[in-house]
Amino acid sequence: MTIDPRAPGLLAMVEDARVVVCLGPGGVGKTTSAAAIAVAAAMGGRRVAVLTVDPAARLKDALELPETPGTLHRVPLPGRAAGTLDAILLDAKGIFDELVRRLAPTPAVAERVLDNPVYQNVAGAFAGSDAYMALEQLLDIVESDDFDLVVVDTPPASHALELFDAPERILALLDSRALEYLGEPMRILGGASSRLARGLLSGVIAGLERMTGLSLLSDISALATDFGAVVPGFRERARAIRTLLRAGDTRYVLLAAPDPHATRDLVAFAREVARAGVGVDAVVVNRVLSFTLDDAARGATAHGSAAPSATASADRSAQRRRWSATLARHLVVCAKDLDTLRAAQAQVIAGLRDGLAAPTGGADRAPIWVELPALSPAPTTLDGIVALAHALAETRARSTTAA
Amino acid sequence: MIVTGKGGVGKTTVAAAVAQAAVAARRRVLLVEVATPGPLASVLDVPPLAGEPRHVREGLSAVALEESSALEDLVHQMMPLRLLSRRLLSSDTFRIIAAAVPGIIETALLARVIGWLEERDRRGRPLWDLVVLDSPASGHSVPLLATPRTLSGLATVGPLGAIVRKTSCWLSDPARTRALVVAIPEDWAIAEAVELRESLRDGLALPVARPVLNAVFPKRFSRTDETLLEEAEASGSIDPQLLEAGRYFIRRRAVAMEHGRTLRAATRERPLELPFVFSGSMTWEDLAPLAEALDPLLETA
Repeated sequence: MTIDPRAPGLLAMVEDARVVVCLGPGGVGKTTSAAAIAVAAAMGGRRVAVLTVDPAARLKDALELPETPGTLHRVPLPGRAAGTLDAILLDAKGIFDELVRRLAPTPAVAERVLDNPVYQNVAGAFAGSDAYMALEQLLDIVESDDFDLVVVDTPPASHALELFDAPERILALLDSRALEYLGEPMRILGGASSRLARGLLSGVIAGLERMTGLSLLSDISALATDFGAVVPGFRERARAIRTLLRAGDTRYVLLAAPDPHATRDLVAFAREVARAGVGVDAVVVNRVLSFTLDDAARGATAHGSAAPSATASADRSAQRRRWSATLARHLVVCAKDLDTLRAAQAQVIAGLRDGLAAPTGGADRAPIWVELPALSPAPTTLDGIVALAHALAETRARSTTAA
Repeated sequence: MIVTGKGGVGKTTVAAAVAQAAVAARRRVLLVEVATPGPLASVLDVPPLAGEPRHVREGLSAVALEESSALEDLVHQMMPLRLLSRRLLSSDTFRIIAAAVPGIIETALLARVIGWLEERDRRGRPLWDLVVLDSPASGHSVPLLATPRTLSGLATVGPLGAIVRKTSCWLSDPARTRALVVAIPEDWAIAEAVELRESLRDGLALPVARPVLNAVFPKRFSRTDETLLEEAEASGSIDPQLLEAGRYFIRRRAVAMEHGRTLRAATRERPLELPFVFSGSMTWEDLAPLAEALDPLLETA
C-alpha cells in the first residue's frame, strides 16, 4: 500500500457531488461518518442536508435533532462556517403517508387509503423496506432544490441490494397484475379452478380474518381500487429514484470496520454494490489498529527479552523485581496479541480491496481509501463531529492499486 | 435460547459458542440461523445452511430459517390439498395478502422453530435438548418475538389460533426459553442492549438471561503494574512498542470496564464477560474460550 499525496481526498470527491450515499453493514459508524462528511462540506461553504436513519441518542443530541422525525432542522455550526447544515431524521411511515396524500387524485381518496387497516399493515412491506423510504425522502430533498449536497445515511442492511433493488421491486410490483388481482382475490386461482378450490381459499382467508380481526377481503378490495389511482405517481417516483441513484454526481461511500469475523460479509456487501452497477467512490475503514511491531521488536518478543530491564527507581526490593518480571511477560503477550490482531485486520482490508477490485462495470477508477484509527471514541458533541470531519479531511488518500 | 443484539456485536459468534458449550455438556443442539445466507455456515465450516436441519458434528445440527418455506409449512397445515396450497403460494397476490396480515410471516417462522422443539425421536424423547436461535438484529427481532403476544388476543379459533397460543406459551416460559442480549463495549451497543432487554422483558414478558458483554480486553495489569509502567516510561528503560501495547491494553480494558458498569447499573445484573478474540479466524476451535465463559448461562435454558 502506498500513500499518494496527489490522489484526491475523500472531501475532494464530495466537493462536486450532489448526493453522497453512505453504505455499509450495521455498527461500522455509518451515521456518524455521514454527519462528519456533511459537517465538513457545510464548513466548506455548501448548503448541506444530512438524512440520518437510526442515530444513537448521543449523536442525536450532538446534531440537536428534534424528537419528531421527518422535519429538516438547522444545525448550528461552530465559528466561521461558510455554508449551512440541516439535519433530518427519517420517518419511514410518515413519508409513505405523505406520498399517498400527494399522489392521490383527491384528498378523500388519500384519507380512505390511509385509514384502510390493510394499508396500515402493508405500508412498510409494500415498499420493501425502510431503504426505499430513505430514497423517497432523499428524492424529496433533492427536488426541493434548497441544498447543494444531500448526505444520506442508509438503514443497516446485510445486503446492499436491498437498497439498489428497492425502486426495481416497487416498479415490478406496480407493473405486475398483482394489484388488479387484489381487487378480486379469487382470481389467484385462475379460470380453471373448481368450486372446491374457491371454497378452500375462502376458508383460508376467513381463517386469516378471524385471526387478525380484519375484514381482509373487503379491505383489500377497497384498497386496491383507491390505490390504483396513486400508482402512476408512484411509478414516476420510482423511476426518478432509479435515475438519481445512478447519476454521475451521486457518490457512494462504503463504511467498514476491519472485524476479522465479518470479512466474508463485508466482501459480499462490496461485491453486491459493484453488481448493482454503481461504483464505490470511497471506502472508509473505521477502527483500524495502528500498532505495528517492527521486525526487531518481534524478534525480541519471541525471545521474551524486551523487558523493562529494571525500573529506575531506587527501590529494588525482591517483591518489586518479581512484579517487574511479571509485568515484562505480560507486556510481551500484549504486544503479540496486538500484532496478531493487526495482521488479521490487514487481511480483512486486503480481502475488501480484492472484493472491490473485482470487475464492476460501474467504477472505472479505484476508490479513495481512508483508514481511521481505533480508539477514537464516537463523537458525542458537535465539536466531536467537527473534529472527525477534520480527521477525514486530513487523512491522506491512499492509492488502492498498489497492494 | 434466543441470541439477540444490535448488528455487529457478534451475535452469530455468541450463538455458536452457546451451542458449543451445550454440546460439551452432552446436550443435543440445533443451531438456527434466521438471516439467510448468514455467516453461521462459515463459523461451522460447512456449506450454506439449508431449510432442513443438517447434522454438522457430534451433538450438533444446524438449519436456516427461511420465510418462504416457513410460510409454505403454515399454509400446508391450513390447506390439506398440496396442489392448491402450492398454487396459492406461487402467486404474487397471496404474498401481498400475507404481508397485509400482521404477523403472519413471523408466526410462520416461530411455528417452524416450535415444530423443531417438539420433534421426537423413535423413543419419544425430544430430538433436541436445546435450540439456539441466532436471531436477526434487534430492529427485526422485536417484531418477530412480539408477534404471538400481539396476536394472542385476536387469534382464538382454528389451527392458527392453536399455533399462536403454543408459540406464546413456549416463549414466555422461563423453564424453557431464555433471551440472551449481546453487547460490545461501545456506546451504541450498550444503549441498544439496555433498551432491547427492557422491551423483551417488560414489553414481551420474555425471560431474559444475564446480559453478555462480548469482546472484552483481558485484565493483564494491576495498579502496581501501571505505576511500574509509568516509572519505566519516565526513565526511558522500556521498549517503546511494548509500552504502547501495554498502554493500549490498559485503555481498552478501562473502556470495557466502564461500559460493563453502565450495563450493570442499567440492568441491575452483572454482565457475563466474553474475552476478545485476537486471531483472524473464527473456527469452531477458536470458540472454545467463549463457550467456556458462557457455561454458567446454560444451567437455565
